[in-house]
Amino acid sequence: MEPKLNELSEAIKAGRRKEAKLATEELLAAGVAPEEVMSALSAGMDDVGRRFKANEIFVPEVLVAARAMQTSMNLLEPVLLSVGSEPEHTVVIGTVEGDLHDIGKNLVAMMVKAANFKVVDLGTNVSPDAFIAALREHRAAVIGLSALLTTTMPAMRRTVELIRESGVAVKVMVGGAPITQQFAQEIGADGYAPDAASAVDEAKRLIARTAA
Amino acid sequence: MEPIMNSKQRVRAAVDRKSPDRIPIDFGSSFITGMHCSVVAGLRQHYGLEDTPVKVCEPYQMLGLIEEDLQQALGIDVQPIFPQRTIFGFPNENWKPWRTPWGQEVLVSEHFHAKADAKGDTYIHPKGDRSAPPSGHMPKTGYFFDTIERRDPNFDEDHLSLEDNLEEFALMNEEEADYWRQQAAQFRQCDRAISVHLNGTCLGDIALVPAPFLTHPKGVRGVADWYMTVASEPDFVMELFDRQTDIAVRNMQRLYDIAGDVIDVVVVCGTDFGTQASLFCGVPTVREIWLPRYQRINDWIHRNTHWRTFKHSCGAIEPLIDTFVDAGFDILNPVQCSAAGMDPNGLKAKYGDRITFWGGGVNTQETLPFGTPEQVRAEVLQRCEVFGSGGGFVFNAIHNVQALTPIKKCGGHD
Repeated sequence: MEPKLNELSEAIKAGRRKEAKLATEELLAAGVAPEEVMSALSAGMDDVGRRFKANEIFVPEVLVAARAMQTSMNLLEPVLLSVGSEPEHTVVIGTVEGDLHDIGKNLVAMMVKAANFKVVDLGTNVSPDAFIAALREHRAAVIGLSALLTTTMPAMRRTVELIRESGVAVKVMVGGAPITQQFAQEIGADGYAPDAASAVDEAKRLIARTAA
Repeated sequence: MEPIMNSKQRVRAAVDRKSPDRIPIDFGSSFITGMHCSVVAGLRQHYGLEDTPVKVCEPYQMLGLIEEDLQQALGIDVQPIFPQRTIFGFPNENWKPWRTPWGQEVLVSEHFHAKADAKGDTYIHPKGDRSAPPSGHMPKTGYFFDTIERRDPNFDEDHLSLEDNLEEFALMNEEEADYWRQQAAQFRQCDRAISVHLNGTCLGDIALVPAPFLTHPKGVRGVADWYMTVASEPDFVMELFDRQTDIAVRNMQRLYDIAGDVIDVVVVCGTDFGTQASLFCGVPTVREIWLPRYQRINDWIHRNTHWRTFKHSCGAIEPLIDTFVDAGFDILNPVQCSAAGMDPNGLKAKYGDRITFWGGGVNTQETLPFGTPEQVRAEVLQRCEVFGSGGGFVFNAIHNVQALTPIKKCGGHD
């Protein structure tokens, strides 16, 4: 089934959702281990992330790739669950209170999911309490906070403060248009990523640091 | 010393890259060079102007109208004539009071129908029609509206219809023509440069794609859906832009016939092509999908009018500036110097003889809200020095001045 797995990776890279769906159906019907199918998906999205970081492709191409991946995941996830194959780490993600923007946050969620993390996406305009409750419920290793607006940067700062006060052990990473490495440090975040592909590297780095 | 030029002459000289007597200043001439209504109120107080509630001229971003007395206090050289209808599809008329979620008393159009839910979030209806689903949402702790993506239940991404996405583009009706006649008469003697937003020339502006002005939009209306359509259905997008441009050119002719002599600058398109670090679309994509339609619009304007054309795009768009020049744009805004590759010295040296920078005056994401007054002053002076040499610069902050910006940092010019 090697060629079919390659076909799936290629369909993801090119954002061809119908082909991705078909390839996934055929692979699962042929009894290929769901973990192998997941690896093919991850390989496709990994390539997408690499080209995105290198400015070879842009947001529209990443979105169609992510849509193709989601089409495939819709078929794959129940099978992975049925064989007890679950991601080792969970990432909680959301846009901070007062901010309704989600394109960047959704891209991060898809990229992180493709890198085989469990993603709990709380959506937009998320209160600090909702973030903390989700961290407790899902025992997440990492939380990703997004803000697009200058006016919601104070809400990001407050959210980090309240997470720290709550005592929940979690690595906090932040991102979004007005967010900088300097601001991330200032508000006590553990990590910062300038784009969705870098967010995956950052989540992995933070988890490795926790384990070390 | 008495100024040698009036405001109109000053702006026209600067835009044409001839040396004006001083750098012209814009605040409030468009929906991308304005100020949040809370900042306008603060400035009115700072300058000791009459204590009246600010009119919200643009309810989506909650921009405040900068009236004559504040224009004078700020030394503003550009006068807007706003579109007849706001982004929520209603005219600004018969002002009524409204208390914002942050407690400011403002004036809004009588058609502004907004309601808070139990959580304190505010929702606004298109065309003031409360029977239609709301098209804008302001979170309890927010300072402006965001559009609500109202997906048509019959939408089928495998069968896109041009007509669905053309609903908002129509020939100018008599009501709008009358509005322009009245506005032209009001501002014909104005000695400030007149700036207007053209109707229907924004190609794929993501703020407009969800059509917050329509009661029941159909077609591709989601932000992510739109970007994906650009990637996966470029032929559809090009045909849509062609049809949209056909209508826009006829409307430009009509506008020219009514008010052509009054207008100096036209905002053609606000589509953002840049993110903080990179482009939204690759250069080849923009050249294939956007460039020919932009050329058609700009060529018509340059052949038939004395207007100067204004292109807005946020972000790290340095790789696209040649394309904007090729498209015939005269003016680039907002010149987001903090984005990757947008260093003022590099931009002025490389493109300063081909395009005018309208913006770039101060960073509204960082320096203006969070810097010290001294840092703001230093940045403003440095930008004026770099961009202002030899003309080709209209001073404006980088995009609208945001809510929460401390007033003492906005009013300190000399």
